[in-house]
Amino acid sequence: MTHSQHPAIPHSEANAPLTTASASVDGADEHGLTKKGLSAGSVGLIGAIVIGISCIAPAYTLTGALGPTVAEVGTQLPAIFLLGFIPMLLVAFGYRELNSAMPDSGTSFTWATRAFGPWLGWMGGWGLIAATVVVLSNLAGIAVEFFYLAVSQVVGFFGGDAAAVAGLVANPFVNVVTCLVFILGATLISYRDMQTTQKVQYWLVGFQLLVMIGFGVAAFWHVANGTAFDATPVELSWFNPFEVGSFSAVVAGLSVSLFVFWGWDVTLTMNEETKGSRTTPGRAATLTVTIVVAIYLFVAMGSLAFAGVGTTGVGLGNEAIQENAFFYLAGPILGPLAIFMSLAVLSSSAASLQSTFVSPARTLLAMGHYGALPHKFASVSPRFFTPGYATVVAAVVAAVFYTVMRFVSEDVLWDTITTLGMMICFYYGITAFACVWYFRKTLFASARNVFFRLIAPFVGGTILAVLFFTTLVDSMDPGYGSGSNIGGLGLVFVLGMVILLSGVAVMFWQRWKRPAYFRGETLSRAVAED
Amino acid sequence: MTESLRIVVGYTADDSGADALAFGARLAGATEAILEVVMILPIEARGGVVPRDPGYERLVKERSQRWLAEASAKVGDDIDQSLHIRYAESFAEGLVDAAHEFGASLIVVGSARGAIVGRSRIGSVASALLHASDVPVALAPAGSREVPISLGVTRITAAIGQRAGASAVLEASVRLGRATHAPLRLLSLVPIDLPSGMDEELADLTSTAHAREVLVEAQRALPAAVEATVSTATGSSIEESVRALEWHVGEIVLVGSSRLATPSRLFLGSTGSKMLRELPVPMIVVPRPTD
Repeated sequence: MTHSQHPAIPHSEANAPLTTASASVDGADEHGLTKKGLSAGSVGLIGAIVIGISCIAPAYTLTGALGPTVAEVGTQLPAIFLLGFIPMLLVAFGYRELNSAMPDSGTSFTWATRAFGPWLGWMGGWGLIAATVVVLSNLAGIAVEFFYLAVSQVVGFFGGDAAAVAGLVANPFVNVVTCLVFILGATLISYRDMQTTQKVQYWLVGFQLLVMIGFGVAAFWHVANGTAFDATPVELSWFNPFEVGSFSAVVAGLSVSLFVFWGWDVTLTMNEETKGSRTTPGRAATLTVTIVVAIYLFVAMGSLAFAGVGTTGVGLGNEAIQENAFFYLAGPILGPLAIFMSLAVLSSSAASLQSTFVSPARTLLAMGHYGALPHKFASVSPRFFTPGYATVVAAVVAAVFYTVMRFVSEDVLWDTITTLGMMICFYYGITAFACVWYFRKTLFASARNVFFRLIAPFVGGTILAVLFFTTLVDSMDPGYGSGSNIGGLGLVFVLGMVILLSGVAVMFWQRWKRPAYFRGETLSRAVAED
Repeated sequence: MTESLRIVVGYTADDSGADALAFGARLAGATEAILEVVMILPIEARGGVVPRDPGYERLVKERSQRWLAEASAKVGDDIDQSLHIRYAESFAEGLVDAAHEFGASLIVVGSARGAIVGRSRIGSVASALLHASDVPVALAPAGSREVPISLGVTRITAAIGQRAGASAVLEASVRLGRATHAPLRLLSLVPIDLPSGMDEELADLTSTAHAREVLVEAQRALPAAVEATVSTATGSSIEESVRALEWHVGEIVLVGSSRLATPSRLFLGSTGSKMLRELPVPMIVVPRPTD
């Protein structure tokens, strides 16, 4: 058994025997337990799909990713969405293998450390934290825009000055303050572990899907009626990535589209606790991704057919609307029902904020636990059993990041999405290779292993590595992505470098302060034997 | 020998949990009861947004085991105790289940954060317990952790009103008095049952007389061998009456459930809630007797 080791924390002598009932966690390690609460802890097929979809948050991801992807690949948007799924799927297989061999809240950090040692492991953890912090600020940013849009729609309905309310978003101070309030709210919810109940979430996810379908149908209806903004006939070439023309453009598009599938892997790893047969998790993952891909393609095609890729008005090629497409498209397409789109994106962002907050906090906690960061990060709130300190730190960093970005960049949302793509490539890539390396002795033990432990993660990791380095080089161009730049260097490149190099700096500082982890004393390298 | 009493302490690794544990231990020491220290962890998959993470759950469990061990070490060897971790949808639900599992006759919880030292404040957990449990619930006021365990129980005060719960309170107090060898005090709070707007002096007179009547009746109901002192407190409000009384550091107050309680369940009434706000000592609420 290659279970992760835990640092030797001196146990105070208990005066009494300890019992643990309800085997929600590795029940087998204690003897004589009563198995209570087991069924209460499981999720069924529908539950798993709902969690999967709310983690992906299709309404939110699409509004953020549609524009930036079209900017790179034009009408080949559907092709790129399909293509972007491949590396995510392949890496997710490796992720699942690692998760069942070494379930640990540190995920990528822990696994990469086990496989490659402390240095690369540390950077893997840093990549994950950076990616989630970046996405947190993007999420909150999108939520702010749709919040004011929804308010303006309500105000407009009652005959008020809707345009003035919607215009508030453009005021950086109002924008930043609202965003900070949202982040504060999400932090509180996360810290106190006040999750939306399953039932409410069923409704919210159902609503979100319904609005997306309605949006697509309405878009095509406008096209058929001749009332579309720039009716563009659907062509088979939309699905052909080779029509994009340049490799760089494909890579740039892919790097954005990775983000739309990010979070899907949770359905694959909810294996032990899903109710019913052994096939439930596999089916949940398959169904989730089928639903999501279908929705993405339908909505993407609807938007393209309705708005085209022109650079004026609501054309998807118009830079002014690209970083938050639904914000501009909802009105023309849904008319008086546009408020439903605002509500769908808002609820989708809210759910995503909740689930996204958990992962940097838990990774920070694991890093604190193993001594890769100050021990404070490992503290668990005694009242709410959440990683309290780590949650607050993640929130503060996300808030600062958003505030700085809002003033540095004109297209914050766009730049953060592109940077996020780069970070996902980085830490998913490390995770994929960690899978291959950790299981190196067992790769050929069965045909199953050859595929899930070698081919899938290796190919997935390689694609991500290529994407990462290509994006890094291309993004040096000041014209890359949104066109934001600092001193002639693309802002995305600068951001990526600042994030990674500050990671390296913090790592060396921690090496000096806390050498035990870096000597492999708290979490040692290992290799799977079976 | 009859089987020992069991006391469930709902422990959390904060001041409130320390208060509960200290009072539970003190009571267990005085009654030679077995202490069942229970930590309730939330079942993670109860929400519909955040996927479960067995790695994190394991970490929380290990942390909780250390918390329990540390807490247990502070209690010392003199008290018979065992430590438990249970999973439940809510803290209150988990504690009631644990009490059933161990056949415990009391659940002890601390007061919510933000309570003034020496006073209780009902948190959401205590509130859920105080309005549904079928096992008596004790609320340890903030600062109970400062009272030495060796002090034991120095007096039992039974709060008597002419309410459905009175006989249950009396019975429980007598039993607890026997187990702890502590003297018994019967208490009637005068402002209870007063129609508002009555002339104050007249009210004082009639209600004081009424209170005496209640106490005399209660005393008559006591078993022959049990001695009890009686006490009435006057004041324009329950809070004032409670403040006017003298309290021992090692005292425990017992109150009954309100008329609103379902038979054999607990429901802290408004008088009880008001008393609780001012009481500097632990309070035990006993369920309404089965009809």
